[in-house]
Amino acid sequence: MMRRLAGALALTLATATGSADEASQVTVAFAAEPPQTDPTRAIGGVDEYFLTLFYEQLLNVDPNLDRVDWLAESWSFEPSGTDHVLSVKLREGVRFHNGDTLSAHDFRYAYERQRDPVSRSAIRFRYVRDLVVHDEYRFDVVFDRPDALFAHWNLALWAVPRRYFEAVGDAGVQAHPVGTGPWKFVSRKPREELVVERFEDYWNADAAPRAKQLVIKIIPEDTTRVAAFKTGAVDWIDGVPPAQVAEFGGLPGVRMASLPTPNNLYFAINAVDPRNPLADVRVRQAVAHAIDIDAIVEHIVHGQGIRTVQVAPGTLGYDPTLEPYAYDPVRARALLAEAGYPTGFNVNCYNLTTPREPNIKEVGEAAFAFLRAVGVRCRIVQIEYGAWVYLMRAASQPTMDGIISAMGWQGLPGDPTDAWSSHLHTFTEQWGRLSYHADPEFDPLIETLRTTMDPTRREALARRIVRLKHERVAGGLPTYRPVVSLAWRDTIAFRPWPGAYWRSMYEIDVAR
Amino acid sequence: MRRYILHRLWQGAVAVVGALLIVFVAQRLSGDPVALLLPMDATEADFEAMRSALGLDRPLPVQFVVFLRDALLGDFGHSYLWNMPAMDLVLERLPATLELALAGLVFALALAVPLGVLSAVHRGGWIDNAAKLFAMLGQAMPGFWVGLLLIVFVAVQLQWLPAYGRGTVGHLVLPAIALGWYPVAAMTRTLRSAMLDIMQSDYVRMERAIGLPERAIVWRFALRNAAVPLVTLIGVYFANMLGGAFVIEVVFAWPGVGRAVVEAVFARDFPVVQAGVILAAVIFVVVNLIVDLTYGLIDPRIRHE
Repeated sequence: MMRRLAGALALTLATATGSADEASQVTVAFAAEPPQTDPTRAIGGVDEYFLTLFYEQLLNVDPNLDRVDWLAESWSFEPSGTDHVLSVKLREGVRFHNGDTLSAHDFRYAYERQRDPVSRSAIRFRYVRDLVVHDEYRFDVVFDRPDALFAHWNLALWAVPRRYFEAVGDAGVQAHPVGTGPWKFVSRKPREELVVERFEDYWNADAAPRAKQLVIKIIPEDTTRVAAFKTGAVDWIDGVPPAQVAEFGGLPGVRMASLPTPNNLYFAINAVDPRNPLADVRVRQAVAHAIDIDAIVEHIVHGQGIRTVQVAPGTLGYDPTLEPYAYDPVRARALLAEAGYPTGFNVNCYNLTTPREPNIKEVGEAAFAFLRAVGVRCRIVQIEYGAWVYLMRAASQPTMDGIISAMGWQGLPGDPTDAWSSHLHTFTEQWGRLSYHADPEFDPLIETLRTTMDPTRREALARRIVRLKHERVAGGLPTYRPVVSLAWRDTIAFRPWPGAYWRSMYEIDVAR
Repeated sequence: MRRYILHRLWQGAVAVVGALLIVFVAQRLSGDPVALLLPMDATEADFEAMRSALGLDRPLPVQFVVFLRDALLGDFGHSYLWNMPAMDLVLERLPATLELALAGLVFALALAVPLGVLSAVHRGGWIDNAAKLFAMLGQAMPGFWVGLLLIVFVAVQLQWLPAYGRGTVGHLVLPAIALGWYPVAAMTRTLRSAMLDIMQSDYVRMERAIGLPERAIVWRFALRNAAVPLVTLIGVYFANMLGGAFVIEVVFAWPGVGRAVVEAVFARDFPVVQAGVILAAVIFVVVNLIVDLTYGLIDPRIRHE
């Protein structure tokens, strides 16, 4: 009786949102919410979560992780005298949500916004001198020197409607984003939900969503998000907690996808002070032998990580013949003794805590415990993301000398050039912003990699760096590439696209 | 009375500015917001340009004085992340927090008052023992854990109430219980102690001697006198609920002030943190002032002169 009464009460109290289109409405839950809905003011990470709903770039990465032409019908990167020119021919007839037609002038406008210092992504245009519009559908980006990463960033520019942006200003853009993307903005309640509807004039019928409306709920707490899914309040969730992936896999009527994220995790091994034992390559090798990374991936992140020797499979420079440092505490102790530390040494170990990567705090704690077992005695300092991101910068004072749990973006499909430019190249005005490492042999290799456009030469160069980096345990000890798990009910038809950390909502529909 | 109120308001203003100063300095010691706003590979020139754009390149005392001046003129700065006035961002979430705090308080009082009174009246009896057990559990179980248990059992297993979010009365029930859970314990114990003292006082003996019904003695006369320490607790807990419901707000995805401010702390969004601290401090001061003034209404012997 009590149960029936309570059930009736629950029915009365629970929200009943009904509409004519309810049958083709999909409700999803994200663990994090981006403040940004303006792509020219975003820097990636969580910022991207909403962007790919509304906005698009010249290139895109499809579900097979192939980079494909998107708003660019064609493009080429050729030397032209002393310059290097990226020539772009736009797809014709693409419309913005407000009805404006996409043209090369919109990209000129995007270029001006994105290279403004307040755009937060101006650094991506460091080699770009100008953007020249030839006609409505053709423009050139003129470089002082070639930049191989430009393609990795989908040619960096975002399609934004110039006239709309100028008319409504920054606040207007944030309040009501307008792009060429598959979804049109309807409403937003920050920290609660975003409601979007299918863009009927979307240019790409193959990738267009079929659901009429998409409601994105923001539920940061894992248990609550999972509960919302299990109670049927939402149809799709991101970030299934690693410990529950196995359970979700066995739930009837539930589908799951575990997908690689663009981040690579590693332990930075910093020795700013030359007396720091970590300056000795044998000590760094000992550290590599001392940590059982396979066990950490299996037990701490419940298998939700792809073990990396240097870079993950599918990434530029991936070398399948490269063997990881075996977990070998005896060898680690021997190397320490050989380096003059038979009884070990004390070292600062900075443990990053952030909800961005599941269980990263526990991963650090386990690794530092492994190190202690061979005599590398960690003085553990817990450090939250905001402090970490500041102290990781090589120009920061005080510096973090020691072993640091860290993460670096390599993208999908992976390209480590950006990451190595930051944490492997020697610290200079333009390079090595996160680097406490100085090895002159790497610097010209990384600089050449950045400006080498030929894919074959790039692969060979990257493999050379990978091998050298591995032998010297330089620029840190890579551990694994985290996997993100998405779950959805089989009443939903969904195909994951890799943009926005697999939260792009192209092919989504109610099952028909 | 007016002099008392003016004096308390002056003290309150000093407290607000003091709290703000501490937060202002502490958050700037905790890291550079520009590091979170720019890509990690940004150059020092990019950093300087962004610091200058945000006014963070000025000396700290100058930043504080400029902030106070602007705040007095109603300008609490712009959120670094959300591209909107910081105080607007906080205030638009205040109704959600007020709603949750009031519901949490109502839940706490609805349980604590009868439990506290009955356990004092039936001292040593089963109600008293049950109340003690309840109070012990209340103090031993953190609210966020109670919240997770409620989600797992009430929302997922029984499917009686929604697991998260805001919208209907149903959405309010579980977070209100989780938020009010801890205060129930403290309020019950406090009211029980006060009631035990009062019930042994001369005037209660006198009321019994003249033949007043026990129910009237307990609920009409004794409870009113025992309520003074309870009112103090109500003030403290209500202010805490308004300013410190962050964990419950996260657990239930409740879009309140606490969650916004704590997220701003992690993002080093200084203007939002400052706006949140000012709001919380003002609420704390006002609620405590109201509580102090309420003493006089409950017990006419207390006068603020």
